[in-house]
Amino acid sequence: MNLLVFYILAILAAGSAIMVVTMKNIFHSALFLVLTFFSVAGIYVLLNAEFLAAVQVLIYVGAITILMIFAIMLTHQLFSRSLRQVNEQVIPASLITFIFFVLSVVALAKTAWPVSGGQLPEDRIFEIGKLLMSEYVIPFEVVSVVLLVALVGAIIIGRREKSGDTK
Amino acid sequence: MDYSLLIPEVVLFVWALVLLLYNASAKTENPRAIGLFALIGLVAAFVILWFVPDGSLFGKTFISDTYARGFKMIFLLAAIVTVIGSVDFASKHMKHTGEFYSLIMLCVTGMMFLASAGELISLYVALELSTISLYILAAFLKKDLKSTEAGLKYLILGAASSGILLYGLSLLYGLTGSTVLDEIGYRLFLNEGTTIAAVFAIVMFVAGFGFKLAAAPFHMWAPDVYEGAPTPVTAFLSVASKAAGLVAFVRLFFNSLLAIKPEWVVIVEIVAILAMVVGNVVALLQKNIKRMLAYSSIAQVGYVLVALSAGIDLSVTSMMIFLLAYLFANIGAFIVVIAFSNATGSDNIEDYSGLWKRKPSLAIVMTIYMLSLVGIPLTGGFIAKYFLFGAAVKEGLYTLVVIAILTSVISLFYYMNVVRIMMFRPAPSADKIALPWMIKLGLAISVIMVLLIGIWPGPFYAWGQLASTIFHF
Amino acid sequence: MAPLANYLVLAAILFALGVWGVLRNRNALIIFMCIELMLNAVNLTFMGFSAYLNDYSGQVFVFLIMAVAAAEVAVGLAIIVSIFRHKENVNVDEINVMKW
Repeated sequence: MNLLVFYILAILAAGSAIMVVTMKNIFHSALFLVLTFFSVAGIYVLLNAEFLAAVQVLIYVGAITILMIFAIMLTHQLFSRSLRQVNEQVIPASLITFIFFVLSVVALAKTAWPVSGGQLPEDRIFEIGKLLMSEYVIPFEVVSVVLLVALVGAIIIGRREKSGDTK
Repeated sequence: MDYSLLIPEVVLFVWALVLLLYNASAKTENPRAIGLFALIGLVAAFVILWFVPDGSLFGKTFISDTYARGFKMIFLLAAIVTVIGSVDFASKHMKHTGEFYSLIMLCVTGMMFLASAGELISLYVALELSTISLYILAAFLKKDLKSTEAGLKYLILGAASSGILLYGLSLLYGLTGSTVLDEIGYRLFLNEGTTIAAVFAIVMFVAGFGFKLAAAPFHMWAPDVYEGAPTPVTAFLSVASKAAGLVAFVRLFFNSLLAIKPEWVVIVEIVAILAMVVGNVVALLQKNIKRMLAYSSIAQVGYVLVALSAGIDLSVTSMMIFLLAYLFANIGAFIVVIAFSNATGSDNIEDYSGLWKRKPSLAIVMTIYMLSLVGIPLTGGFIAKYFLFGAAVKEGLYTLVVIAILTSVISLFYYMNVVRIMMFRPAPSADKIALPWMIKLGLAISVIMVLLIGIWPGPFYAWGQLASTIFHF
Repeated sequence: MAPLANYLVLAAILFALGVWGVLRNRNALIIFMCIELMLNAVNLTFMGFSAYLNDYSGQVFVFLIMAVAAAEVAVGLAIIVSIFRHKENVNVDEINVMKW
């Protein structure tokens, strides 16, 4: 049962990821991206990581794709024309990707991973919170600085300046 | 736990916040005062850094050792010299100077955390803090399409390379079950024989760091970003972002992956050769001085990789000396570019003709920087190259050293081309070029340091050697 | 739970698709989406290992990667909007990863 759900989600994720890459209309790409993010969140639930699944939905679906759709609406005449989305190097790009993919699958499959295969205990959110506040408190604080920097940068760069300014 | 280890970073961060808040409340902008304020913060952090002891916090998430502090000095010095040289540029071309300087300080904060990162999560997050600040800084002149496009290119390739790097990190985590660098090294050492996944992860690391270092064949963003970004940002980027890439690269490869050194040496050697050849040959064709310096920086990173593929303690020592000499020579050269383009509005190498007539001192200091970048004796660049190639010779990497020396000879042409144009071409106009005192100060500091490292390398060698003692070869 | 290899191979597929998209597309926004695909693949790998290693640090890593990704996207979209003010499309040919 678990395996079946995994395969459904996996096919959904991979299939919509293909659509994201190949769609002519950028808005459709964004919608398929949402589907991919949801399927990946579902897989997190299968891995007993409900907290990260919720965060995935909140950040990726709720923030990132919404931001992207805003940007699309600000910068594109929607649905008006389907633009050529592909650059001149499709064939070498596809070739490189294919070789890379085969190599990565070989590398992943040929390796005996030193894993135990057990279940993470209950109280998972508590454990993550404890780690964030003890061992990993420095990266946690640094991430808050990253967000501050992004905030400042997005305002400075995105803001419309008064016209007539030459600087 | 000794939280005093964090004081330099905290001082810098708080200083940047104060600058942001002050700037948000101030009615008018005074770029000079803001620049000086930022400078005081950076110098204060630099002074405090001398008194920080050894130690580590939260397991190994934050390590303060001689290596980390050596690199922190490099980052702070790069920022200090850049800020000194940029005040004039900022008051002329920029809005939001308060945000500009606080972003530089936050970027340095990220790099300092990166230097101290002893564990993958803090390494990644600190790396992102420094690079995201740099994306914004590259796109800072938003009225200038070139600058905005430079920011976008840098961001796209930077984000993609972070993704590649992270994929490698995730495989390393799966192989060892730990995110602590020492622990990873220990477990890789215990594992009998290397797995194909480890080699795959190494390829990802080299590609990811290759982008950050702008080493060929991952250099394609560098010329455009160097050309498009505001010149002070280019100056900072060319030195600090390379140093940031190197600090993490060396910590990861010499601390965690030393057990599987035979697997990565070949890959690093290939990248080193490509970087030296591509950088030096393509630099010959450049008309724009910022692009020329971009390709030269690609070549310079190749020389460092030559030393690093030796994988001995002299590699680390020589890298530290190189970064210090390169810092002053390269940022100094960019300050000359700032001064020249402020006066004439041009970045073309041809327009430098007759600079000797228009401002002799500017031509002389530029010549010294160029000589140092070539590696002529009595300059810091010579000492740096001597030790870099010495490390490779010590390990018997003669082919690499021969290629490095041959490509150095090629580099003589394009560096000396600038000198030839400045000294021997007739000046297009007799207008003198005036230098503001901040720019004079920046130029003076860099020239003195370049010559000091070249003439009296002893203390700098000792400093570099101290940094290499933390690795167990 | 499904065997670990399933998660890893799915992640490899997503990652390769992301790389493919970054290399072949010329629209900056789609390239961004493909970078997000790459990061999702990385996250999936981390989550798989974390679950099978009984170790939480992988999950902490994923959490922080997500936060950083959001920051990166915010900056990137601000830059795209700023470029769009200069010229009326984002299909700049310079956004062609292998050409430069």
